[in-house]
Amino acid sequence: MISTGLKESWVKSKFCRDDRTVCHTWLIFLQGVYVTGSFIKSSRSYDDYMNAIEVSHLSKRFGALTALDDISFSVSKGETFGFLGPNGAGKTTTIRILTGISAPSGGTAAIFGNDIIRNPILSRTQMGIVHETSNIYDDLTAWQNLMFTAELYTIGKHQREKQGMELLERFGLQERRYDKVRGFSKGMKRRLTLAMGLVNNPRLLFLDEPTSGLDVQSNLIIRDVIRDLAAQGVTVFLTTHNIEEANLTCDRVAIINRGHIAAIDSPERLKKTIQSAQSVEVAFDSAVPRRMEDLKRIPAVSEVRKEGDKFRLFTEDPSSVIPAVMEYAKANNLRVLSMTTAGPSLEDVFIKLTGLEIRARGVSTVD
Amino acid sequence: MTETGRRYGQIYTELNAAVAIAKKDIAIYYLKPNIIVSGALFPLFMFLAFAVGKPAAPAVMIPGLIAITILFSASSIEPVSIPIERRMKTFDRLLSAPISLHAVVLGESLSGFLYSIGIAFVPFIAGLLIFGTPILDILPLVLGILLTAFCFATMGTLFAAYPTESPGDIMSMLNLVRLPLIFISGVFIPLESIPSAGQVLVYFSPLTYGNDLIQAAYRGSTHFSPLADVAMLCIFILLFQIAANRLYKKFNE
Repeated sequence: MISTGLKESWVKSKFCRDDRTVCHTWLIFLQGVYVTGSFIKSSRSYDDYMNAIEVSHLSKRFGALTALDDISFSVSKGETFGFLGPNGAGKTTTIRILTGISAPSGGTAAIFGNDIIRNPILSRTQMGIVHETSNIYDDLTAWQNLMFTAELYTIGKHQREKQGMELLERFGLQERRYDKVRGFSKGMKRRLTLAMGLVNNPRLLFLDEPTSGLDVQSNLIIRDVIRDLAAQGVTVFLTTHNIEEANLTCDRVAIINRGHIAAIDSPERLKKTIQSAQSVEVAFDSAVPRRMEDLKRIPAVSEVRKEGDKFRLFTEDPSSVIPAVMEYAKANNLRVLSMTTAGPSLEDVFIKLTGLEIRARGVSTVD
Repeated sequence: MTETGRRYGQIYTELNAAVAIAKKDIAIYYLKPNIIVSGALFPLFMFLAFAVGKPAAPAVMIPGLIAITILFSASSIEPVSIPIERRMKTFDRLLSAPISLHAVVLGESLSGFLYSIGIAFVPFIAGLLIFGTPILDILPLVLGILLTAFCFATMGTLFAAYPTESPGDIMSMLNLVRLPLIFISGVFIPLESIPSAGQVLVYFSPLTYGNDLIQAAYRGSTHFSPLADVAMLCIFILLFQIAANRLYKKFNE
């Protein structure tokens, strides 16, 4: 008997009295109705529970070079997902496969349940793509660029013109719409690229380094748009060299290194994995560099770094470091101007997981 | 929506996208200096080099001029535009759009085709107005121009599949094919006068059939049957389209 929650006694009381045959027939019929109903219900809700991106054992080889080695992850609908990794880690290769530009050497990738290899057109219909470089046509105007992209998505004339005007206004480009893009600043080109990525109202937006090297105004506009899209339920897949941006924007991040996924989790959970990167930041009235050697001698301090007019002392136990710093200040007749404690940053997690000594080389970001 | 309806919908989408790609190319590339030189001026100087000083009247040379103009102009857009678009990464925009490679290849070919039709009008009008060249049959002329233009536009798209960001690389390869075609296709040397070793090659040149159709319009007779010319040009178009699709797919992987 199929377990449906239907009780034989209830069926007997409602549909039959003592006739066992009639009773069984009713029971089988009602169970059939129940199972069919459950199936229809689960079919209807399939889309609601489906992932926006589902990557399974994906690999990509270029001759002897393995760019992606058996990576698997999923991105839920409406999630803002960050993809971080150093140069050559496999970020762009992943995006090229997920957008159907390149084919994988192995594994599968699906966009809203559609296999990107077997059903690329349906998959791409639902996505918008903002490539790493502002790949727009310099010899066309902003308006022509937008209309051309809309035509590739077969958006009707009236709809694409309406959509085009709204997007140009949203990105502060309406006054320059009939100017050739050749004369645009880098920020304006980036904003136009993003507008072109949104022209088809995508359910999933791929953003490859969206704010790299931009002016403050463009940066703010683009970050606002990403937040708005997330609020509207659009899934965002973001690769960025700016780790703080991922920290502020993403629900979850994946850290990829040499074709392997090193970690996937929310920024806060990832930070918790490396408590040794907690720190005490202190500013004295005199910040001569030789103090670094003195501060290093404080017990429980693993590393000292000079950051502008401040010193950052890395420790697993900030509560024991704070009185020691105060004692040091008193002994050396120094006035403590400020002292704060800080947890590990996403950048610390990134450095630990990718094994990069970026800070030591004075670099604070990665591509 | 039924399966048939979906299929028609997709065909409409693909054609729409192909037209959009062609319109984009027209707006960007038609007036680029290197396209004007290789597509319009090069065939003119080529023609003058062979025609000037020859006993034949200019009017007799008009069909040949139309044929080589189409050869060079139709195959000159994509070998320039596609490498530039690869360099600017705008080609990725086409590859990631919700259309098949067929639509991309068709759209790119369409822009070369339309450019070539426009350029071919120059010798055609010059023949008509300046030299008073009589046209005996308009149908082979129209078919000859349209099919030859589309055939060589597709050939240009096929060569442009080679994954380089430099138009010069593709132009060099293309000229290795285009220049010999002129000599084995009856443009300057009548097919009957081609040495026996070259007679076999004649059949492998699409320009042979295009030139034969265009000549028919001015002479009233063809070397092959007009139907054979049309059929051969259609076969070449099909082969170039299929090969271009395969190559773009292979090189993108």
